[in-house]
Amino acid sequence: MAHAGEVVDELQRVREAAEERRLVTSAADGSSVAFEQLYRRHSARIHALCLRMTGNVATAEDCTQEAFVQAWRNLPRFETRSAFGTWLHRIAVNAVLQQARRRGESLGAGDSVEREVADVLADHATVDPGRSRDLETAIAGLPPGARHVLVLVGIYGHSHEEASQLLGIAVGTCKAQLHRARALLSARLGEREWNHDAG
Amino acid sequence: MTQDERTAQDAAARLDARLGELPLELAPGRDLWPGIAARIDERAQPVASTARRATWPWQAAAAVVLVAGSSLLTASLLDRGVLMQQSAVPAVPASADAAPDAAVAIPAAFGPAGQLDPEYVAARGQLTQVLNQRIAALPTSARAKLEFNLGELRRAADEINAALAEQPGDPLLEELLLKTYQDELAVLSNIGQLTNSLANAPVNSPANMPASPTGERMQL
Repeated sequence: MAHAGEVVDELQRVREAAEERRLVTSAADGSSVAFEQLYRRHSARIHALCLRMTGNVATAEDCTQEAFVQAWRNLPRFETRSAFGTWLHRIAVNAVLQQARRRGESLGAGDSVEREVADVLADHATVDPGRSRDLETAIAGLPPGARHVLVLVGIYGHSHEEASQLLGIAVGTCKAQLHRARALLSARLGEREWNHDAG
Repeated sequence: MTQDERTAQDAAARLDARLGELPLELAPGRDLWPGIAARIDERAQPVASTARRATWPWQAAAAVVLVAGSSLLTASLLDRGVLMQQSAVPAVPASADAAPDAAVAIPAAFGPAGQLDPEYVAARGQLTQVLNQRIAALPTSARAKLEFNLGELRRAADEINAALAEQPGDPLLEELLLKTYQDELAVLSNIGQLTNSLANAPVNSPANMPASPTGERMQL
């Protein structure tokens, strides 16, 4: 039997979902006011995704803006079979990939950039900012292919099938990149830290 | 399982646990909304707006079609050796509704197609109108082949457009769609070649072959 608190939480979720559908419909009809509210709701998640995928603060901001502009332009064709947040997430991944392709270069190169990204992310860590900073620094320093897969699968919980579709790579490549990312992270963070964690 | 394998598995599990603790949300250091608002205010309505930053391939495609159409019209005039009469000059459709026979042109339905430059749509319609008249003069087998090829392209474009509805901005899908329009252009150019061959007049010499959207000469 559900507790009263669970019922209230469920009601709140239903109410928020209904409100989001209303905002999406209004925005699709041309309401920039409604779209701004959608931006306020989703920008933090989209920005964190872009920041981790690009490993670069300025580029992440560009990609976040681009994702919302693209979402605005494509809203009339958005079908509510999927959640707006999920749809926006895919657009953001595409924005990051397009940005990388336009630049034709590896994003996130350079220790100073890695530290900057890691500092920004670690400041918002809920568990042990020091350890989070080390981990975020190591993630930001990964090669783009390995980093993209690690972020999508390891942090945002996509399956390999979903991540490979988002990134336009084979499932096998996706698995290999995750393996590579883990190995590189382990090497960067050091086996001693893992042993310490285990203790 | 060996000791090494067990150790590696444990390390991976600890890493996954730490990754799972990382925050999924992080607000940008500055408010990005003003920049977004400035860009979406370019047009009040989001419906099929012309994405200026994303339409370069389609603007290039428009130029290609204009070149192709111009080449074919020129060839047609030279073949006939007469000045083009006013009635033979198809007017550029003023709107999509005025576009000619959809049996030849691929419908521009969604995604980047929804962002197609109006010039491209108009030019393609103009070219198609000219070629429709020529298709009627083709042997049945050649006509069937052309119509089959165009039908396949239309189906491909429909499928890509449907996929783009789910994944707007997907670079792979956009590339595929652009390639489909390039293929359409190639088929349309083939119609010009075929019909001119029937009239024993060469057309589409390398000098007036249309350039592809990437600037290369197309090999048909």
